Amino acid sequence: MAYLSMGEAHRRISDYLSRFSDAVSSQDAAALSPLLAVSSNSASLQSLADALNVFQDSNRLVGQMERSSQLAEILSSLLRCIQSYRLGRFADAYIALEKAANAFLQEFRNWETPWAMEALYTLVLEIRLLAEKADRELSSSGKNPEKLQGAGSFLMRVFGALAGKGPKRVGALYVACQLFKVYFRLGTVHLCRSVIRSIETARIFDFEEFPVKDKVTYMYYTGRLEVYNENFLLADQKLTYALMHCSPGKEANKRMILKYLIPVKLSIGILPKQWLIEKYNLIEYSEVVNALKMGDLRLLRQALREHEDRFLRSGVYLVLEKLELLVYQRLIKKIYVLQKQKDPSKAHQVKLENIVKALKWLEMDMDIDEVECIVAILIYKNLTKGYIAHKSKVVVLSKQDPFPKLNGKPIGS
Amino acid sequence: MEERTGRGQGLGLRPARKALNPSSAIWKPMRSCPSKDPKQTSVEAFRERSNPRFDDDDNLRSPNSPFLVGTCPDMCPAKERAQRERLRDLSVFERLNGNPARTSPHLAVKKFCRTISTVDIQESDIRPPPVLQRTLKYLMNLVNSEEHPFEFVHDFVFDRTRSIRQDLSMQNITDDQAISMYEEMVKFHIVSHNRFARCCGKSDLSSLCHLNIEQLMKCLLTLFKLYNLNRLSKSLHTNEAEFYSFFVLLHLGDKIPKMGDSLSLWYRQLSLPILQSKKMHFARALIRYCQMGNYKRFFSSLEAEASDLQLCLVEPFLDEIRAQAISYVNYSGYKLHPYPLMHLSKILMIKEYELEDLCHVCGLETSIDEAGMKTLPVKQTKFSLPRSGFRSYCLSAIDDVKRRKDL
Repeated sequence: MAYLSMGEAHRRISDYLSRFSDAVSSQDAAALSPLLAVSSNSASLQSLADALNVFQDSNRLVGQMERSSQLAEILSSLLRCIQSYRLGRFADAYIALEKAANAFLQEFRNWETPWAMEALYTLVLEIRLLAEKADRELSSSGKNPEKLQGAGSFLMRVFGALAGKGPKRVGALYVACQLFKVYFRLGTVHLCRSVIRSIETARIFDFEEFPVKDKVTYMYYTGRLEVYNENFLLADQKLTYALMHCSPGKEANKRMILKYLIPVKLSIGILPKQWLIEKYNLIEYSEVVNALKMGDLRLLRQALREHEDRFLRSGVYLVLEKLELLVYQRLIKKIYVLQKQKDPSKAHQVKLENIVKALKWLEMDMDIDEVECIVAILIYKNLTKGYIAHKSKVVVLSKQDPFPKLNGKPIGS
Repeated sequence: MEERTGRGQGLGLRPARKALNPSSAIWKPMRSCPSKDPKQTSVEAFRERSNPRFDDDDNLRSPNSPFLVGTCPDMCPAKERAQRERLRDLSVFERLNGNPARTSPHLAVKKFCRTISTVDIQESDIRPPPVLQRTLKYLMNLVNSEEHPFEFVHDFVFDRTRSIRQDLSMQNITDDQAISMYEEMVKFHIVSHNRFARCCGKSDLSSLCHLNIEQLMKCLLTLFKLYNLNRLSKSLHTNEAEFYSFFVLLHLGDKIPKMGDSLSLWYRQLSLPILQSKKMHFARALIRYCQMGNYKRFFSSLEAEASDLQLCLVEPFLDEIRAQAISYVNYSGYKLHPYPLMHLSKILMIKEYELEDLCHVCGLETSIDEAGMKTLPVKQTKFSLPRSGFRSYCLSAIDDVKRRKDL
């Protein structure tokens, strides 16, 4: 590091302080945001941090330059944060940032217009990112990682500040999405419920008023929650909304949405085209789709085994498991079609023994009782129309449309 | 230093260091002494070490209080014994010669106390691990005694084991001793769950049943945290996979109190070794068969792979699955081919006459064919699940399975 004189350090710090002060007095959020973006590692913040290491008495400088005690409180904590961050002390950086953020929130409440919204967004994002880094640092040194949880509490306070009748309420969705990210990371997903309730039932909010970007993120997370709770129709609605309104060019986001939307679509009987899977690099679903097309149970099970870890982590494993019934349906349909080709008059009678043979050919060992059981389920769930003549061990299919399509209704509904 | 593995948060407590002199006959406190460790003198450090997530709602712990080291030599502190004798607040199991005002150190067991203020606690009121183990053993033996109706035994043991957990928590005992005690207590709750299901019909038992499952889940969740705290390498504890499987199997019951998230969400946080262990694979498969309705494979896997405790846990849920199987058979059958009950009873692992009874309970008629065999006429329209639950027919069928396993 090049030698930094006291004078130069002093200049850099004063520069930052006056830029901050000016931004506030001229209500310029675009100028304020970069000053708060601690984790952005911008050149100016890095050089500021270097200056802080040299000029140790920044608090006095703040006191001298800043007449507003509120701003002074924000600034002295912010400087401490920037310095700690540069030194790689993330837990300390987070603690300082939380202090600064609390003081900032107080001021934000007092400002009548929502001019500082963009700056608040930056701060909210920084709080979350810094908390995550802090927790990693704490965990690796054997301490209790509770900063992200603290960040969640702070974000709830911000949410509360925005959930009012005034124009500030348009920022509530952004904060809600940040909260979702925190809760998903912490695994305390049930805490999302109260946030969702506020957004969806409070009369002050009109969903259409929120920025599109935030609506997409919101629908993505709430869509995922519906997937976990196996409400596939709602999941389809929300994730499709997110996909449709995702800005062009945001391919990574579309991929994330599709990762959850594909299993949902499969559950309601809609298969994605191979080009879609390849375009978004979601190859793990290729074999699943093929298994459904061909009625190949072995392929489905193989795909689940091969990508078990990935599917369990994203939480779609149980959804994909349920597709087995559709695969059975497809297999029996194939047998029926083959029989029809040989002898159309007898095609609608399928011997259970033939299904056993077909499965054996697929290296699936199932006895006739189990096959009868599966066929009974298919009939019960309206995936197959007909009846089982137990004594003759035959399933007699309906002459009309014996294998109804799901038509958008999830299996088993 | 022990390695911290696994995802998610730990309890924020330093893993217990082994006693310095393991061969010593005198029990030594199993945690680092705060005053000796220079890093741990600040208040901040104390706050770091306690963690409200470990304490369930039974325990009130001020984050700044140091952990206590119990010295009470009996199952119940002398002070409490004297007080309860005076107030005649002795359970039937604690009375000396049936006297409601007299007990003894061999009979009295410390009660669970919901509102303990940390100021009043003395170390002489808290039992150290060897005493807690002795107490637990005593309570577990009581469960097997036939003298009193089961609800009373359960009630007593339920409360007294809660007190044991309270003492463990207040002393911050999180080592292997805690693990084995928690495992014992989970077993107790599983056995109780099974026994309650067998005497279904008595309505006053349903809230006991509910509370029992709730406590079972809480113990399991704490136990999982203990396993994580004591992890030395990537390997699992001896019984870890099986106890995780219990949590999964609880999801077979529709009416169990949900502890928050769906299974999909819970799986996200588990490590792969646990998820892919034999016991977990089995439990996950059972859930899959149950949700799909594949009663054939459900019962055949159960017979082939379930451990005694897993069977115990799953038994109360079996009748619902059987009823569903009956409804599938009824719906999909051929009018001219009534379904033979003997055949179905073998698949559903139930005695034929019990299956007949179950059909009736579900509103279906049964009949007898020309050969004198019992059948279920299909395509009946009056199927309905009984609102008050099932009588739990599994007794003999499962006992047969257990006996078959012993051969």
